Amino acid sequence: MSTPDDLTRTTATGARDGKAGLDQRLARAVQAVTARALGPYQTAIVRIGFSLTWLAFLLRELPHRHELYGPDGPWSLELARRLVADNRAFSVLLWTDGRLWFEFVYGVAVLSAVLLLLGWHTRAVSVVFMAGVLSLLNRSVFVGDGGDNVLHLASIYLVLVRCGQVWSLDARRAARRAREAAAGPPPRRDLAGPLLWTVLGGFLLATTWFHDVTGEWWVVVLLWVLWLGHGLWWLVSRYGAGEARVLLDVLANLAHNAALIVLMAEVCLIYATAGWYKVQGSRWQDGTALYYPLHLDYFTPWPALSELLASGGVMVMLVTYGTVAVQVAFPFTLLHRGTKNVLLVVMMLEHAGIAVLLGLPVFSLAMISADAVFLPTAFLVAAGARAARMRDRLLRIRPGGVPGQRRTGEGKASGAGPRTLVG
Amino acid sequence: MDTHVDEDRNAAGILALSLPYQVVAAVALAVVGVLTCAHLTMVFLHVAPSNTLTKRHGQAVDDWIYPEFEQNWKLFAPNPLQQNVSVEVRAELATEGGAHTTTWIDLTAQDARAIRHHPFPSHTQQNQLRRAVDFYLGSHSDEDVADGPRGRLSEEYMHRIAVLRLVRLAAQGDRRLDGDLRRVQLRSVTRPVPAPAWSTETTATTPSYRDFPWWPVSRADRGPAEGVR
Repeated sequence: MSTPDDLTRTTATGARDGKAGLDQRLARAVQAVTARALGPYQTAIVRIGFSLTWLAFLLRELPHRHELYGPDGPWSLELARRLVADNRAFSVLLWTDGRLWFEFVYGVAVLSAVLLLLGWHTRAVSVVFMAGVLSLLNRSVFVGDGGDNVLHLASIYLVLVRCGQVWSLDARRAARRAREAAAGPPPRRDLAGPLLWTVLGGFLLATTWFHDVTGEWWVVVLLWVLWLGHGLWWLVSRYGAGEARVLLDVLANLAHNAALIVLMAEVCLIYATAGWYKVQGSRWQDGTALYYPLHLDYFTPWPALSELLASGGVMVMLVTYGTVAVQVAFPFTLLHRGTKNVLLVVMMLEHAGIAVLLGLPVFSLAMISADAVFLPTAFLVAAGARAARMRDRLLRIRPGGVPGQRRTGEGKASGAGPRTLVG
Repeated sequence: MDTHVDEDRNAAGILALSLPYQVVAAVALAVVGVLTCAHLTMVFLHVAPSNTLTKRHGQAVDDWIYPEFEQNWKLFAPNPLQQNVSVEVRAELATEGGAHTTTWIDLTAQDARAIRHHPFPSHTQQNQLRRAVDFYLGSHSDEDVADGPRGRLSEEYMHRIAVLRLVRLAAQGDRRLDGDLRRVQLRSVTRPVPAPAWSTETTATTPSYRDFPWWPVSRADRGPAEGVR
């Protein structure tokens, strides 16, 4: 896991320096969390994973969208309004019962998932992504499951994460800018950014107007802070107030690193909760727990397969015990890289199994995306390089043409810190 | 400015700032640190079992967590569900020959058929009815008395799901539903999963039934349902 490793290494270097005292190590740590947005590859894969999950879900439910979230579905707008008046959840779908508004919001949600996947104006799009996720999921909370829950949380945390540092159109554009700047002529002006900002400002005004029915106050405040922050960043970048730019960068890095820690802690809490509560269950103790979900009508898309897996008592017991052991152990294995990586693979495989066996692909994909925050950097870099090679081969692009994108990412990641992040 | 720290080579981070800006950054660091710790503590207390702290400060935790940070990770815990809960519906129809009540129609069986051999089941098949009946049973007494506004919400929701499904069946040409829908009744049927063949355990597998009250169907209930796909 690169990020905590990085932090410990930063402090460890201090110790190795010999007389480096506590204050100096602390200074290094502070510098590390203010100067760099840690885990560029991990946050990028998490971004890609969750946007892909949401996109797949939205496309799958396209024919069912009215029944799930539309104004006339079984959970009607009127019912949703009564519930939200009580729980104050964020949803722009409560503004009006217009069919067109619903279609627009669903469409924007799909679009935001595609754009976040590609990393186009990631910071702004991640806010739209969050608004879409919260609006739809909060509109009909009673059709959701654990997968929706993970997505809901991740969409909020991702807003604070600089998740487009690598593997994104943003990274590619940044590289092109750098090349152009080096070549001499002034870089082209970016029109999409300011335009996007203006349009989103309009929606922000609407959100403020409808704040009574849009959720808790802090969400609206957060949206304003983000919007003003993005505007300020643009101004400072353009008119080059050197130190102000560094300060904004520091603030963004702080938010990023904090959100990353929260994201990692959430994954640990998920497994700890799932594991520790299981330990108390009689079925998990007697080793038959796995047998039961495999016989529930709602979770057996492949009855023959489920039957086969549940047919051997010893097999069921081993998987049952294994599941509990892995879930309980996971948070502790973070102290040891090798064990952590083995367990990560086991858990990802188990989720892939759940996707097929229990018919829960969205839940599984969301969990795998969350797990991915712990993937080692070396693995991610290698996988990224392989994916880029495959893409080049598929698109038959000249060998010299594209690597720019990849190099950007890596260049930026290592450029941001003194060492490469070897997970 | 400290120059001995290698990190600030590309002028980033708190060390690249002058003192006034450093103060701002330090304050931000403190605020972010406190918020992060507070949030993690709250989330921890939210997912932890009831304990000394949550008994004392449960309201503060709830205020922080709900609605956006709500989470439940007791996945199949402490014990997995060991019974299949089906929802069945019957309708009273006005026909030319007078009022007529249909036999019980198993709505969960429809869901199960849709899920079978589908790699990517829809939430409408996998979650809608399953969670709606959970919501209903959780917000009603055994005598079907709603406990507050949530209970009434769940009644209306169950009711609308039932009507939607019946209207859809009728549209598919189900002869049982010829006539004018007047009232519907739902019941839940709980069937324990039989004990594994390889275990020595025996489980009683007789289903248990719970009838919900009859609900009148108004035109408003049917109208929008027909427009829904």
